[in-house]
Amino acid sequence: MDIRSLLSDIGLTSATGEAAVLVPVASFADMAHQCVAAGAPLVFMYATDERAAHKTYGVHAVFSVAVSGFLTLKCDVSAEDRTYPSLTRTIMAAHWYERLMHDQFGIVAQGHPDWRRLIHHENIPEGTYPLRKDFAVDTQLAHAQVPYPMHAVEGTGIYEIPVGPIHAGIIEPGHFRFNVRGERILSLEGKLFFTHKGIEKLVEGKLPAQALPFIERISGDMPVAHTLAFAEAVERACRTVVPKRARALRVVWSELERITMHIFDIGNIAGNGTGFTFMAAQGFRMVEELRRLHDSLTGHRFLRGAITLGGAHDISAEAVMDILNSLKKTEKDLQAILDIAFASDGLMERFETTGVLSREAAIDYGARGVAARASGVGIDMRRDHPYAGYADLGVLVATESSGDVAARFKVRAREVAESLRIIRSCLEKLPEGEAQTAVVVREGEALGWAESWRGAIIDWVRLDEGGRIDRCAISDPSFMNWALFGEIGPGNIVPDFPLCNKSLNLSYSGTDL
Amino acid sequence: MMYVLIFLQWICVLALAPLTVGIVRKMKAHYQNREGASILLPYWTILSLMRKEMTITRHSSWVFRVVPFVVLATAVCLALLVPSIAYGILPHAASNIFLIGAIAALGSVFLVLGGMDTSSTFGHMGSSREMTLAALVEPAFYLVLSTLGLLAGVWSLDGIVGYFAMSPWSAVVPVASITLLALLAVILAENARYPVDNPATHLELTMVHEAMILEYSGPYLAMLEYAAAIKLTVMLVLFMNLVLPFGLLHPAFGLALIPVALMVFVAKLTLGGLLVATIESTIVKMRFYRMQEYMSVAAIGALIGFILVLIGHTL
Repeated sequence: MDIRSLLSDIGLTSATGEAAVLVPVASFADMAHQCVAAGAPLVFMYATDERAAHKTYGVHAVFSVAVSGFLTLKCDVSAEDRTYPSLTRTIMAAHWYERLMHDQFGIVAQGHPDWRRLIHHENIPEGTYPLRKDFAVDTQLAHAQVPYPMHAVEGTGIYEIPVGPIHAGIIEPGHFRFNVRGERILSLEGKLFFTHKGIEKLVEGKLPAQALPFIERISGDMPVAHTLAFAEAVERACRTVVPKRARALRVVWSELERITMHIFDIGNIAGNGTGFTFMAAQGFRMVEELRRLHDSLTGHRFLRGAITLGGAHDISAEAVMDILNSLKKTEKDLQAILDIAFASDGLMERFETTGVLSREAAIDYGARGVAARASGVGIDMRRDHPYAGYADLGVLVATESSGDVAARFKVRAREVAESLRIIRSCLEKLPEGEAQTAVVVREGEALGWAESWRGAIIDWVRLDEGGRIDRCAISDPSFMNWALFGEIGPGNIVPDFPLCNKSLNLSYSGTDL
Repeated sequence: MMYVLIFLQWICVLALAPLTVGIVRKMKAHYQNREGASILLPYWTILSLMRKEMTITRHSSWVFRVVPFVVLATAVCLALLVPSIAYGILPHAASNIFLIGAIAALGSVFLVLGGMDTSSTFGHMGSSREMTLAALVEPAFYLVLSTLGLLAGVWSLDGIVGYFAMSPWSAVVPVASITLLALLAVILAENARYPVDNPATHLELTMVHEAMILEYSGPYLAMLEYAAAIKLTVMLVLFMNLVLPFGLLHPAFGLALIPVALMVFVAKLTLGGLLVATIESTIVKMRFYRMQEYMSVAAIGALIGFILVLIGHTL
């Protein structure tokens, strides 16, 4: 599909779609619905505070128009009224974004079916809208007691199980509320957002280079993907062309991150999720070897510093050989443990039919990454919207159709194989020359994106006249995927929930910027 | 003489129980290509727990405080009444299989009460699961014990082990093999091992035994951990004594053979630990809603063994 034909389909013949297309508030929801109906899913919503210039808030909805790009529809919401008709009434994927925009800016989506707080817990006073320009970053909030109701089921023999936010093991905080009958889950809802860092607010007024370390720390296990999406947005806004060598290296770093975390998940799902300890022991050993490789290459075990503005961490010819040798060993070991895993009937029995996400739900919720692909939704930024050096690599997108834990496990295994091929192909013909160019900051705005190992990251950055960040909106895949538990959980039994959880492996920190 | 042996047997099981847990853990670590902690670690765990303070929720009653004592007492009784080193030393009435089954059940029931007393979510979940499992395990457990009793013609465990020890191996063990497999399944379930429960997990939502004792800390936790170790040791040794009924003491042999019997005891513990570690490293924990299938297999195995013995008697 092509953006211009989509625009003419929805009656906007004069717009080009290169910048955000301004539409009236009244027809915003309707046009958004038409975009989704035409096959361009809603992938991102963000708001901007434009009261200083126009006495309005801007509400933006971004649609993915594979393979020609992204279409952004924008409506101006008056600063007094602060309302617009909710998109969630017809587009499920908007449900958390609209609640988020209310918590951040106080913009009201009228007709939203589940109008509760999202990121603000009980203790945040009413009327706290931290991303408004007149909200100081160091504001001291009073301790409030605002209700934060959670879904409950009533009836004979129904029990509520509260779990967390503090968990056993070294994981992040998150609260889960199960309503069960016996062991069978009837409903499941998460209360997240215990790890708020205020990154979107903190980076405002900073130069992109100063903001990069903040972006790198959004989620500890995906620094490459986050910095890459941000760097691409800034470079696009500043019209910087990144050297070919840097583009190829960005692919290498991204795929190394993907391989490492997919192997971690393979070990964690099969090992800790089911108690097949062999898989965890071997998987984590391989992850450790890769982390040491990362350390020797970039000086950081989690690949921080691999992506820079206008470039990427460069490597020597010997380092190329190190990577290839390490990956050869990784590939062999992984194949060996996967053979054992797939040969274990007990393991496959635990995986199959557990935590099923239907294709319809994956599409409606805007599921990203492995969760979507395992349910038959073949989306992948690397192929749909090529960035960095992916355009000429011909990325194969692995999909499965059953949507259960087994499908997500298999998708990961297949993606590691594809990533190995991509890295080898990149390193074989690594372009000569510089891997870094200077980014001259200027006024502008742009989207940047990357397919992290968890799924797509989309960033929108606006730089002011001084080249400082005016607004940086970040869409992390975990934010889109957490709500899937409401679909995945019910019907399973409580002891299988950790397995479902591990099969998605979402970030608490990434959800809660 | 008899009392010396009874006392020796009791003390050995109590002293070596934490070692069994250490051996299982060490062997599991080896299966995972890890070095693993020292096999003496469970002793240190218990000792350090004894020195720690206890945090007991206000919302608990006297039941919570009684549970560790009852559970430990039942485990200590099992150590006294189940033949591990010698046979022919316990009165048949004391070593009666139904008495031993009831003592084990008493400990389980109090664990369940302890799990429920604090009204914590996980405690309730663990207790509910434990009762479900108990209802599934007990028929198989009693069928297995009855079959063995019928085979030996005596209703005491001491007598059953004695019968196995005195008969030629090829005459009894192959006959009872189905029953012994069922016994192994029961032992794994009773001791919260794979494929029923995972003693090493940190995932509260999947726990059974660990969920019930989640609220315990300090000396009470030490008592419960020690009780679990004793129960595992007693049952593993019983199983090994039936499968490999060699090297057991009898009052008639005199005291000279005690060192040999002790070495055999340790060897059996190691073998039993290896067996558990192998099972836990090669199979996956079962889905909770398939437990009835697992226990049905155990119960039907026991039943087949029972019928075989009955047929053998009538022929």
